[in-house]
Amino acid sequence: MIELLTETAISEPSRIRGLEMPWNRVMGSTEGPAGAARALGPWHPQEFMAECVETVPEAGGMMTFVFRRCDGAPLAFRAGQYVNIAFPVNGEDQDPVDRSYSLSSSPTQPWTFNITVKSDPAGLVSPWVHENVKPGMVLDMLGPVGAFHLPDADRRARYLLLAAGAGITPIMSMVRTIHSLPGQADVVVLYHGAEAGGYAFHQELAYIASVDSRVKVFYSLGNRSKPEGWEWLSGRLTAAMIDQVAPDANGRQVYACGPEGYLNTAAELLKKVGVDDTSINMEFFSGDRQTLLEYQEELALAADIAEEIAEEIADSAQDYYESQPTAFGLYEPGYDAEGTLTATGLPLETVDPDAPRSEDGSSGVGEEPGSSDASSFDTVGTGSLTLSFMRTGINVRVDPDEHILEVAQRAGVRIGANCKEGMCGSCKVVKLSGEVEMNHQGGIRAREIDAGKFLPCCSTARTDMVIDA
Amino acid sequence: MSAPVNVALNSRGKLASSLPAHQRAEIAELFEFRRAGYSLDAPFYTDRSIFNIDMEAIFGQHWIYAASVAELPEPGDYVTVDYGPYSLIVLRNDDGDVNVLHNVCRHRGARVLTEAAGSTGNLVCGYHSWTYSPSGDLIHASAPGETKFDKGCFGLKRAHSRMVAGLIFVCIADEPPADFDETSKIFEPYLAPHDLSKTKIAYQQNIIEEGNWKLVMENNRECYHCDGHPELACSLFPTWGLTDGVIPPHLEEVWDRNKEAQSSLEERCRRYGLPYEVVEELDTRVAGIRISRESLDGEGESFSPDGRRLSKKLLGDLRDFRLGRCSMHLQPNSWFHFQGDHVITFAVFPVNEHQTLVRTTWLVADDAEEGVDYDLEKLTYTWKQTNLQDKAFVELCQKGASSPAYEPGPYMKSEYQVEAFINWYVQRVQEHLA
Ligand code: FES
Ligand code: FES
Ligand SMILES: [Fe+2]
Repeated sequence: MIELLTETAISEPSRIRGLEMPWNRVMGSTEGPAGAARALGPWHPQEFMAECVETVPEAGGMMTFVFRRCDGAPLAFRAGQYVNIAFPVNGEDQDPVDRSYSLSSSPTQPWTFNITVKSDPAGLVSPWVHENVKPGMVLDMLGPVGAFHLPDADRRARYLLLAAGAGITPIMSMVRTIHSLPGQADVVVLYHGAEAGGYAFHQELAYIASVDSRVKVFYSLGNRSKPEGWEWLSGRLTAAMIDQVAPDANGRQVYACGPEGYLNTAAELLKKVGVDDTSINMEFFSGDRQTLLEYQEELALAADIAEEIAEEIADSAQDYYESQPTAFGLYEPGYDAEGTLTATGLPLETVDPDAPRSEDGSSGVGEEPGSSDASSFDTVGTGSLTLSFMRTGINVRVDPDEHILEVAQRAGVRIGANCKEGMCGSCKVVKLSGEVEMNHQGGIRAREIDAGKFLPCCSTARTDMVIDA
Repeated sequence: MSAPVNVALNSRGKLASSLPAHQRAEIAELFEFRRAGYSLDAPFYTDRSIFNIDMEAIFGQHWIYAASVAELPEPGDYVTVDYGPYSLIVLRNDDGDVNVLHNVCRHRGARVLTEAAGSTGNLVCGYHSWTYSPSGDLIHASAPGETKFDKGCFGLKRAHSRMVAGLIFVCIADEPPADFDETSKIFEPYLAPHDLSKTKIAYQQNIIEEGNWKLVMENNRECYHCDGHPELACSLFPTWGLTDGVIPPHLEEVWDRNKEAQSSLEERCRRYGLPYEVVEELDTRVAGIRISRESLDGEGESFSPDGRRLSKKLLGDLRDFRLGRCSMHLQPNSWFHFQGDHVITFAVFPVNEHQTLVRTTWLVADDAEEGVDYDLEKLTYTWKQTNLQDKAFVELCQKGASSPAYEPGPYMKSEYQVEAFINWYVQRVQEHLA
């Protein structure tokens, strides 16, 4: 038996602030990496077929089933969501029975995905699943579904994850996801089980807690009597227990999953220790009727969306599998300064960067030469480019090396100007379209330039232009 | 971080002193005869000459709170702060530091920037377009026919600035008081965890109170009058300023609740490594300060009717909403409340001997969304009401001080901080006049 070889002090990793899901920036960006990268973003549920590739027995009468999609695509989802699966419980020629199961794997390893099923001897489906689902079996699925999941970006990633029994499955997905990502986080898991040997994933949880300083795991033995040597907590969830494992629960986001009674108690206790309603997220694992109905509604909606989108995807399948983008720009040093991007998710829109934009009422003017008012203006001067001054109602022809202000003033356009050197900002005007080359000296700020302004005294035209002056 | 003063205020064309010598002596005498423990004589609140001395000796010599970083988040953002005859431009430069410039054009003296806040590149005077760089250098003045015009001599005058824990202080003295650095070291660790650089303005309120600036400060330094603040009394323990032994019977129950809340707050502070001890040096140093972290009633999170959070996004890397209020008072013109969910800053800018601008700013986490994470009405309710009530109190006193029947009255035990403020003020002016 070999004990620790050496004790070496290892310092804490240096991390960026907060957590961000890998797909977040891709979804927040309007251009650049399109199609393929977006396939990793869980923006909508889909109908798909998946093949079982592995089964893994777990403690507590649970079994993990590993799947991969038959179409070869990754499964995009958010940690905590579930899929709905059609099981041919009564044989291939009968109607299948649908059941929803939380995904227990991490979406950061999207090429296969897991569900973990507890066999309920009185149930119709779960014993059948344990018995019959084997590598090679192909099942119809719909997903991902569910609002119980980690946010796409969170600069204060401090969580209290509460699980009871089989409620550990979505929580496990969250823990695995956070463990796989860089970034600051503070995670406390409190896992209630019925018997000492019945904690699914406890070896992996112990491993993660031992190597990842961000994650702490606590176990409690429900109401049962403690076996010899039990060193963890015991008894049902109480406010004191929450205080003990997370004295700062008040400032955390809570995710809780388990049987209804457990969750109702949890909701009350959490309020008692000062957790805000809006910071509590719950998944009723073995739902009562009400919950099941909600699930069904959600699934029905998901099915509709899936169908609609399946058609679109069929049309643009090529985009879907195009080469992966080289870099998504995640975790660059600028992250902290700029803060997190927030992805908006639904609905999926294909952004065509070349399409004409209309950001405010005035744009679009002059986009199509000949159709706008500028065509009726007088044109003066000579030169290869045309500047249309919309307020003055005149077109001025210039050469690419002429300063716009001079030519405009000569043509009678009224633009106030003082320094003529790009310092004072007094000549600032808005360009409605076209490109300039500007050599200013502090008379204009980057923000103003972004808003479409420029200083004509120190600018030359690169293209035809439409100017609000 | 301080900006050197590049041009000494020169006395060219100035009257030898702002006041005739005999009047100065008369005023010095008034200070001499100030009766300790009593409110000031009427002229301190009503007389123009004393106001001028205040501007010279207090606002002209000491570090003044001007604004927070949240008010000028990006390069080019500025605020103008006016007090007495002065107007300063506080401008965020491209390095992220702050430049403070006198808002007086070096051509013929026009105000250069006329807005209270905004964003600018170079600074252009609206009169004849003299153009200054963000650091105040004159970089353009159209000069047809001029031969001997040297732009180098006409930069905007600069003042000193300091940014500490996201608060911006300015000083127009040639040589600012040195102990501000020590004071900064006291308060920085209390405030830094709230990370003002990641906050935004939820609301800013400017009130002109018809009262001398000292009455505004005095009023803020005691809770003897807190019965007059029903909204505030929901979350602020009305026992503020009291100590064991002087608790009136009707407040005993509250006092016990206060003590219990305080001890659990202190336990949390120790857990999170947040300082909470009272540091009180209101009149024992030049940059006078009082700071502490104190519990709030109810849930202990914020200034709301039940003490619950008013914004759902925690500030900085704070871990818990139940952090009461970290409150700071700085001589001569500011006080602050830092909660887990939001920060309120109060800045006092004298207008003249009988009018004072009080600027209150509510800051929330910069990712908090109005209507989602906070309700603006609820966020600002308590202090908007309280400010109005205080305005009325101050104005009552100003009226009183203007009456021939007015005579200084005694500050009570619970008003010891008012006395400390006045004592600080008297010492500073006397040093200046000496
Ligand atoms: S005229 Fe001064 S910036 Fe153009
Ligand atoms: S007064 Fe400012 S430019 Fe003339
Ligand atoms: Fe008050």
